[in-house]
Amino acid sequence: MRLWPFRKQVSAKSRSVALPPLAEAAPADMSRLLRIESDETKALDAARSRLRVMGLSLAVGFALLGARAIDIAVLGSADAAPSQRQAQQAIVRGDLFDRTGQVLATTLETHSLYADPSLVWDARETAEALAGVLPDIDVDSLTEDLGGRGRFVWVRRNLTPRQRQAVFSLGLPGLGFRMEPRRVYPRGRLASHIVGYTDRDLQGLAGAERAFDGSLLAGDGRPVALSIDMTVQFHVAEVLAASVAEFQAEAATGIVMDVRTGEIVSMVSLPDFDPNRPSDATPGGRLNRAAQSVYEMGSTFKAFTVAMALENGTATLESGYDATGPLQIGGYQINDYHAENRRLSLTEVFTHSSNIGSSLIALDAGAEAQRGFLGDLRLLERAPIELAESADPLLPRNWGPTETATISYGHGIAVSPIATIAAFAAIANDGVYVRPTLLPVAADETIVGERVMSSESAQTVLDLMRENVLDGSGGYADAPGFQVAGKTGTAEKPTRGGYDSSRLISSFSAVFPYDDPQYAILVLLDEPHGTESTYGYATGGWTAAPAVGEIVSRIAPILGVQRAEDETGERAALVRAALMPEMIP
Amino acid sequence: MAVFRETVPRDLQGKLMELNWTLVLLLVLLGLAGIGMLYSVAGGSWSPWAFNHATRLGVGLVAMVVIAMFPPRFWMGVSYPAYVVALLLLVLVEVMGVSINGAQRWVDLGPIRVQPSEIMKLAIVFALARYYHDLPTEKVTSISGLLPPLMLIGAPAILVLGQPDLGTTLLLGATGVAVIFMAGLSWWFILVVGGIGLFGMIGVGLYGLENILADYQMDRVRAFTNPDFDPLGINYHPNQAVITLGSGGMTGKGFLEGTQSQLGYLPEMQTDYIFTALGEEFGFVGGIAILAINALIMAQAVAIAISCKSPFLRLLTIGITTTYASYVFINVAMVSRLLPVVGVPLPLISYGGTVVLAVLAGFGLILGAHIHRNAEPPRGAGLFG
Repeated sequence: MRLWPFRKQVSAKSRSVALPPLAEAAPADMSRLLRIESDETKALDAARSRLRVMGLSLAVGFALLGARAIDIAVLGSADAAPSQRQAQQAIVRGDLFDRTGQVLATTLETHSLYADPSLVWDARETAEALAGVLPDIDVDSLTEDLGGRGRFVWVRRNLTPRQRQAVFSLGLPGLGFRMEPRRVYPRGRLASHIVGYTDRDLQGLAGAERAFDGSLLAGDGRPVALSIDMTVQFHVAEVLAASVAEFQAEAATGIVMDVRTGEIVSMVSLPDFDPNRPSDATPGGRLNRAAQSVYEMGSTFKAFTVAMALENGTATLESGYDATGPLQIGGYQINDYHAENRRLSLTEVFTHSSNIGSSLIALDAGAEAQRGFLGDLRLLERAPIELAESADPLLPRNWGPTETATISYGHGIAVSPIATIAAFAAIANDGVYVRPTLLPVAADETIVGERVMSSESAQTVLDLMRENVLDGSGGYADAPGFQVAGKTGTAEKPTRGGYDSSRLISSFSAVFPYDDPQYAILVLLDEPHGTESTYGYATGGWTAAPAVGEIVSRIAPILGVQRAEDETGERAALVRAALMPEMIP
Repeated sequence: MAVFRETVPRDLQGKLMELNWTLVLLLVLLGLAGIGMLYSVAGGSWSPWAFNHATRLGVGLVAMVVIAMFPPRFWMGVSYPAYVVALLLLVLVEVMGVSINGAQRWVDLGPIRVQPSEIMKLAIVFALARYYHDLPTEKVTSISGLLPPLMLIGAPAILVLGQPDLGTTLLLGATGVAVIFMAGLSWWFILVVGGIGLFGMIGVGLYGLENILADYQMDRVRAFTNPDFDPLGINYHPNQAVITLGSGGMTGKGFLEGTQSQLGYLPEMQTDYIFTALGEEFGFVGGIAILAINALIMAQAVAIAISCKSPFLRLLTIGITTTYASYVFINVAMVSRLLPVVGVPLPLISYGGTVVLAVLAGFGLILGAHIHRNAEPPRGAGLFG
């Protein structure tokens, strides 16, 4: 075996002084040939010096790697240290609170049981003993794991202290515990979609856990408070669940938002799930219907249409609209649900919820104006809330006259409920749009809003909405003393090649109190079915509006909304008469 | 004084006698280290990796010796055709390649799926070595002499860049430039071009890297410069790698005792990150030993290149050595956080059949160059001579 590839020890040095072997071999008398040979030798020498440069740079490169190895392994490198610290600290995750200080999410240290198969004496005996303490263990598969050749298998994660003690008492070799943090949600289903959940490594996957992942991890365990009020959340969830049961709806969502600050006080989506066991959720249970789903909102959009026309000056309260017959547009025919077959005033278009009238109002203003106004209300983009789940709207590909007409009454455009209620709140907030947020807003905080319509336009639409509750389709939404103003929305679900009139999205969007609007509320039922007491109707006015009325009467006192001293309007008078008969003159 | 001319062995026995057994032994040592580590990261088991690796090493070593027997004239003959075939395959990738993870790098040829950019790494060395073998020395620095090799490098580089595969593009370019340098390009020329390159890099620095790189590439650079950036996301892998590497200390935790390696803190431990498992179980001493074996291999290869009389064998040897060295360097630099994340395996130790076979085939050529180091095939013999 040869240790070096040269036949002779021809080192670089000896070559530069001695004649190269090529020249030695050349015939001495052929001088011309010798010159050529030496030229070639010179080239060879040049090439070889290049090779040495190459070898040297390789050596430098390897010296660098060696130095780095010393740096990491022997000295404990400077930049390896913070990484180690980070890796150990990553488990520190802040708690989540609601606005009143109730714990929504916290981290507990639990013990997880593992085994080192190489130290286990008898796999089956061990597995059977463990199954006696931890009943849901599958003895056969654990026996197989414990008989394997690896050095580590999880037996069971996140044991309770009692279970841990029981395992200790078995006194079996080859078992051990590792501390593992686990995220716990004390309120369970009640705030499931708002709070969301994490994976096993405590990385936020949904809801606030995901939206505020950065702050929860960054603050050395500092908690994050949310704008949610769990008491309000409880009532919204309870009323919503009752409505779902009563009308056998597929799903439902309810949102309560502070119109001045944009704070989301409650957000419920049914069906829900237990964030402590997100993987056990029923299909669709993890879907946050308030933000993640988009719906055609139906007549709710008429509030936006009227506001847009008033703002653009293409309509006034004195305008009249011809609703004597169906409206023909672009090969389609637009009908009214409750056809009046006469001329309607602007107020009547709103309170009778006339699709024809609404289409005419929108067509007068034009597609551009409509698009601009809905854009200002941020209905053409995903709702600007912290949740990653916030869904993009579905918009028409081509925005022509037909689309302008259908969008005016909330068809041919699908938006999320959270986007709808935020736009609705702008009307109640004196025409100023405020971004919805899940974080509490301090009392002295300046709120940055964008004016999207004049105070006058906003007030007029608010008047119409109050009128609609007092004397229109929203009658069931009123809560005595809290002056609800709102608009129903009923849309048929799209199906193959059209709409299915038996499957509805019924909603009611409202603000209260009318005098000095503080909160916006939306209730939406997905496929409710009419009952005897609603005469078979499943529209928004019959299903969602009563839920809004019930919720408002429950939560308004909690939220500190003052009951109005002086009731106005016919309905209020009737209510008063019913409550206090002796006052009838 | 006896007239002595070194000869080239012609028969099989003579060639086997001339085989550089030191180099073979070093390669076998690396391969054995690979088998050991693959046995360890599988939790002390021959399946799924160690047994396959051993089989491939056996096949590769035999192939290596067979390749070493072929005379240089044969390799000169296939140089240009091999380049053309590799280039056609790269075009084929463009036209009907298979996309994996968003990059179109593979092409299906009946039963096997090949990655033409890997073939090109070898083919470009062949083509350049052949080109400079035929080129008179004084023309190396002239424009007419420099243009063809730049085109030889540029065509595949552009195709690979479009796949997209920035890492391989840079590797191809670097290998090509190294061969041109080795062919004897004038120092003046190198200084001027290097100066322009330096100014270009300063320009890029001033212009801002984020305007040039894609978002994901920029994230990798950010992750590289700041270990605390996104520690549970993009930086998880690099940080855990350094932790694993450092946890071995001076002499390591012992064979099969590495907790980081055995507990799956690092996924895909058997491929690009195998060096960290080695560092954990055998410590600084083990890591340095692997580096030292590699350094000896490269010293042998460079010495063989120096001993070669024909430019073709010299450039072929040094080109292959450069490619091999960049694999080792980039891999170890990556796992020890000296470079951003680039997916490059550690040759002969990482699991993966193509790389084992390609590396051993490359060393077959180098061993062949050693056997035939005194051969002087004619220059300018035409395309297929």
